[in-house]
Amino acid sequence: MNGVWDFFTRTQGRGRLTLTDWLSYAYLLLGFLIILVPVLWLGLNSVKTQFQIESQDLSLLPGDFERVARATVNGPDGREIFVIADLPDWVLNWSDLSAQEQADRDVGAFLADYEGNTLYALRSHLGQVSNAARAVIAAEGLPVWLNRYGALTPSAREAFDLDAVVATLAPEQERLILEYLGVEPYQPNRIVTQALVTAPHPDTGVVMEWAVPNPNATSEFLPGRAVDGAIEGVVRLPRETVVTERNIAPDWGNYIEPLTGTAYGVNVDFATCITNSVLVTVIATLMTLLINSMAAFALSKYTFRGQTFFLVMILATLMVPATITLVGVFKAINATGLSGSIWGVIIPGAATPAGVFLLRQYMLTIPDELLEAARMDSASEWKVYWRIVLPLALPAIAALGILSVIWRWNDLIIPMVAIATNTEAYTIQLCLLEFRGEHISQEHYRLAMTVVSLIPTTLVFVFLQKYITTGIANTGMK
Amino acid sequence: MALLELRNVKKAYGPVEVIHGVDITVKSGEFCVFVGPSGCGKSTLLRMIAGLEKITSGEIAIDDEVLNDVTASERGLAMVFQSYALYPHMSVRNNLSFGLENIGMPRAEIDDRVNEAARMLQIDDYLDRRPGQLSGGQRQRVAIGRAVVREPRVFLFDEPLSNLDAELRVATRGEISALHKRLGNTMVYVTHDQVEAMTMADKIAVLRAGKLEQFGPPLELFNAPANRFVAGFIGSPKMNFIKGTMGEAGKFVSEGGAEVQLDAARFKTRPNQAVELGVRPSHTSPADGAGVPLKVRAVEQLGTETFVYGAVDGAEDFAMQLSGQVDIQPDTVQQVAIDATAAHLFDLDSGLSCAAG
Repeated sequence: MNGVWDFFTRTQGRGRLTLTDWLSYAYLLLGFLIILVPVLWLGLNSVKTQFQIESQDLSLLPGDFERVARATVNGPDGREIFVIADLPDWVLNWSDLSAQEQADRDVGAFLADYEGNTLYALRSHLGQVSNAARAVIAAEGLPVWLNRYGALTPSAREAFDLDAVVATLAPEQERLILEYLGVEPYQPNRIVTQALVTAPHPDTGVVMEWAVPNPNATSEFLPGRAVDGAIEGVVRLPRETVVTERNIAPDWGNYIEPLTGTAYGVNVDFATCITNSVLVTVIATLMTLLINSMAAFALSKYTFRGQTFFLVMILATLMVPATITLVGVFKAINATGLSGSIWGVIIPGAATPAGVFLLRQYMLTIPDELLEAARMDSASEWKVYWRIVLPLALPAIAALGILSVIWRWNDLIIPMVAIATNTEAYTIQLCLLEFRGEHISQEHYRLAMTVVSLIPTTLVFVFLQKYITTGIANTGMK
Repeated sequence: MALLELRNVKKAYGPVEVIHGVDITVKSGEFCVFVGPSGCGKSTLLRMIAGLEKITSGEIAIDDEVLNDVTASERGLAMVFQSYALYPHMSVRNNLSFGLENIGMPRAEIDDRVNEAARMLQIDDYLDRRPGQLSGGQRQRVAIGRAVVREPRVFLFDEPLSNLDAELRVATRGEISALHKRLGNTMVYVTHDQVEAMTMADKIAVLRAGKLEQFGPPLELFNAPANRFVAGFIGSPKMNFIKGTMGEAGKFVSEGGAEVQLDAARFKTRPNQAVELGVRPSHTSPADGAGVPLKVRAVEQLGTETFVYGAVDGAEDFAMQLSGQVDIQPDTVQQVAIDATAAHLFDLDSGLSCAAG
């Protein structure tokens, strides 16, 4: 820890910060932020709820505005709209809960604290109307056709005298039955959530709480409804006077659902994709390193007829854009029967001209005398390569390894060409594509899985960069 | 052990021939030194023996087995490189054992040999270090150790001492000689330093421009150089050469007219033949009477001996090596007596020795 502090407080050595120090630190900070801010932005966005992403909430932090319930109740007095404050989260998010979570809540005890329109609204919202109505029908010995009445056509309903039946009931029970049946004027009651904001009343200037549909709207005024019900109807609140409050609530479901295969509307298993990508990356990188280093060894340490020709050929392929050979690559993959398998991605990328060139240039710096010494030590040419050249080329190998991992992991074109026909063989990049379909776009999953896809390349760099910086071999020569 | 034979060995790079047919026979257990100025082809010759360079024509054989088409890794020789060429990524122990592992030797025997070689060369304290952590002298020992553990038929050394400082060079020279006595292997050693050659060799091969100038024991080369090049190359300080012509009855007349009476029976010359008289600085002395007049340029008094440098007619540079402290002043003329029994004569045109027999 002390060392880190010393490192970050180093100065040019004149006791105080000089202009060079200031510039250096400013430059370091700028570079640091340029790298960090986009990653941070991605990370924070990846735990935003689907709702927040889709409402294009540009706030940096994941979470939502404090929310209140806006209730619509239909009854003999007409439609009434009002705000219910201070509801617990599980009530507000009732429809997002699983059946098990809903069953775990003691809804009856909760509703016992409410009455009137508030009760009617909550009762409908929490799905209690049907059960309560059936219980009343059974308890009061009402005719069983009531249970079917709601589903009947208007002409079929004429066979039954509903009014005579409900007239025998207490008013509360009558209302329950009529809400259950959904007859006029008891259309279903609804609760939607709105954002809770504070703002002064535009006329009186009294600061109070309001419910607004979307505080992010770009309009000049926000339609607000007084939370305490003191003011009838909707009041136009000037946007700049509105104060919003947020709660920070990361939505880890963005990660958990695709990784456990429970994501809604996604027909690829992300865990399989990661496995495929890891396999592709590891196997392809190992093959790349082996094949490229062998080619580089031959090109740098042997003299043979056509040496320059082969080198020029390899370099020439560097100059051909990959898109030009794409059709050819597809035909080759198809013809060899590799299509739809991860080997169709691994094998075409195994030999990379850039890698051969990089390793060759490095191997040229390994003294020939070391190879000759090994030959004098009875080493076969394979041993010379495996025990002498390869270890000494480790820094270059590590650099190429990092590049290869990043190439394979991030590659989209070749997997699309080679394995787009088989979702079982999808790599991670194809999976990310899957979250944005023609009809459905699930950016919240895509952001989260993009973060997941960044982790391996980051780890590889963290672990291999040590070889790049310290692995440079002392040649042991004078 | 191993008899190494080079039979009319030639090497050409394309049309350029760099080794013009060399015949050398190194008897089993002999320490043979290839010496010559840089670019004379001695290293190339060694690399051809090692198998690192192809042989254009001729034969290289060990114990009558022709090795021309045997690869370096199968010849069973060991070589110490000028740069040592230690494997930088391996510990000293692995550097030593690498060659033994390659021939599939059992682990226990490898350990025995490595430990023994390390003890012998006093590198057993550094066995777990990397070459980069060793000093030049220690690396040198490791490089020799790597050759020793192989117990090769022939040791090859390619200027192994040239990266050491003067003091260490003398010490290591002695150690290599001692090593040769102890192991008794055939050794071929390349150097450009004739002192190394003289002190270590059983046989010296003097090479110049891809040709073998003379091959023989050190003192034979010293006492009876076959030509002017060998005479000038072997021995320190260098031999003095005075241009002149042959007079009557073994009389040498220098360009300046100074006369030296030689034993006519020792040389085969004809009168008026243009020759060079070669005499080592130690075989000169101040003359009481008339001698060869030396214009003294500088005098070095070393206490036990004195060097006098100057010029005589027929020789731009002429040196005298005198024992003890001698009172000779610079910028004077000193008459020099030449020990006729130790003098050599070389034909001025061909450079060949005029010695009889």
